Amino acid sequence: MALHILRYSTLSVSLGLASMLPAQASPPSQDPPQVPVAYSIEEFQEAIRSGGPGKDGIPSIDRPRFVSASQATLSEGDKVIGVYHRGQARAYPQRILVWHEIVNDEVGGDSLSITYCPLTGTALGFKRGETEFGVSGKLVNSNLIMYDRATDSEWPQILGVAIDGPMVDQGLEEFRVFWTTWGAWQERHPETEVLTEDTGYVRNYRRDPYGSYDPPSGYYAPDSRRLFPVMQRDDRFPPKTVVFGVRSPEGALAITQQALRDEGVVDLTLGERRYTVIHDPGLDTGWAFYNPEHVDIQPAELDFTAEGVSGPGIASLEAVNGFEAMWFAWAAFYPDTYLHEKQEQP
Amino acid sequence: MKAMARVLVRMLSRPGTLLAISGIMVLYTLLYLWLTGDIAGGGRGGWSTAFPAWERALQMRGPFQFEPVGLISFGALVWTFSPLNTLLAAIIGLLVGVNIVAGWWLRMRPRQCGLGSASSGWVALLPALLAGGACCAPLILIWVGLPIAGIVAGVAPLLMPVALLILTAGLWFSLHRLTREGA
Repeated sequence: MALHILRYSTLSVSLGLASMLPAQASPPSQDPPQVPVAYSIEEFQEAIRSGGPGKDGIPSIDRPRFVSASQATLSEGDKVIGVYHRGQARAYPQRILVWHEIVNDEVGGDSLSITYCPLTGTALGFKRGETEFGVSGKLVNSNLIMYDRATDSEWPQILGVAIDGPMVDQGLEEFRVFWTTWGAWQERHPETEVLTEDTGYVRNYRRDPYGSYDPPSGYYAPDSRRLFPVMQRDDRFPPKTVVFGVRSPEGALAITQQALRDEGVVDLTLGERRYTVIHDPGLDTGWAFYNPEHVDIQPAELDFTAEGVSGPGIASLEAVNGFEAMWFAWAAFYPDTYLHEKQEQP
Repeated sequence: MKAMARVLVRMLSRPGTLLAISGIMVLYTLLYLWLTGDIAGGGRGGWSTAFPAWERALQMRGPFQFEPVGLISFGALVWTFSPLNTLLAAIIGLLVGVNIVAGWWLRMRPRQCGLGSASSGWVALLPALLAGGACCAPLILIWVGLPIAGIVAGVAPLLMPVALLILTAGLWFSLHRLTREGA
């Protein structure tokens, strides 16, 4: 009898203690997702491949440290992933992120994950809530599959929708990050902080194992071949051609980087909705907007500041997330993508 | 078994063979570490060392791949040093070296054809090198430009055990034949 009482007492205390342990909340999500999903979850699951390293074999940076811009040891042409959130600017050098792929950070009081996949040339930001994201070691369409440490659900970075785990079919909340150069970012945000090499891990941060972006070579050269299989091939452009992609529940659209640079403002219709993508010559990227009133935007009248793009008509537009990607990866995730390329002069 | 051990000891006690085995071991170790990316470019001249992460020595980052604990910079080269990666490379390098020397001894014997044993060291090099190449930075595949990293990554966990198995079996057969023939 005494033994039974002891057992039940121990069990009660254990359960009581367990309930006091902090349970990580799942990441903020959208159900249904606000982005297109071109394949069934089963098709995505069948297309998952091992990338080589195991789970967390590519370690995320969970305690990032920063220095001021004046203390940074970067060259003007070095690629960085820039974040400007609630008045706070931060730059994450590509040569550090190529070894870690995910930074679990807090910017402007919000818990954010800055993610980068070197194999698809994509940088995206996700709200992470109280949890963190890690690198699963798996790939789909050559793209990083992240996992969240609260539910262990698996999220391909470009898709932003869980394809496995308890949160399957739900979408993550995104925020804008900028794929640009250190020179351009520093000019736009002189007060920016910069991620340091003090990551808690030992890596050769002076070397990119895949090649170089300044100028593009190795794996990043436009004509170079992809390494992993994809669900859909599209050979309209060389695989690593950079496109600026925008997604909405109606579908996906891509504009070649060259067309965006040349045209300045590109108006497109997706389903029945009008979208306007504006080229930012300073950061050499795009700003995407939903344009319900079909407002005509003139590039010459626009200003680009730390807060974003401003000028006549901009106030009536609704910002939409967009990001650069290698063409092969964009076409693999979105085989029905609308494509805007440079129009040949007659 | 004792006779085989005696052959091995005799092999290692000869300065010429010991030098050959040591040379092959060092070359293989350096090649393996270079293929896995532990040794790479990016150095800025001079010589420096820092070992800030000894606590990660046993932490795995992939199949038979461990976290580096320190950075050794020498001239244009940078070595992200992991004691276990280095030890693993040295063990395989030692096995490759002993295999090749044992094969050479067999080949030098007038009474038998040592081709099978002599080549086992070279055959064993293939999975050993593949094990080195199938890391998180598939340099060889980038150079060659073949979209087969998915296949290599899939079999990566098997490469190292297969390499060790082939090398050990090759060595056993070579020593066994040397023992039988009274080397």
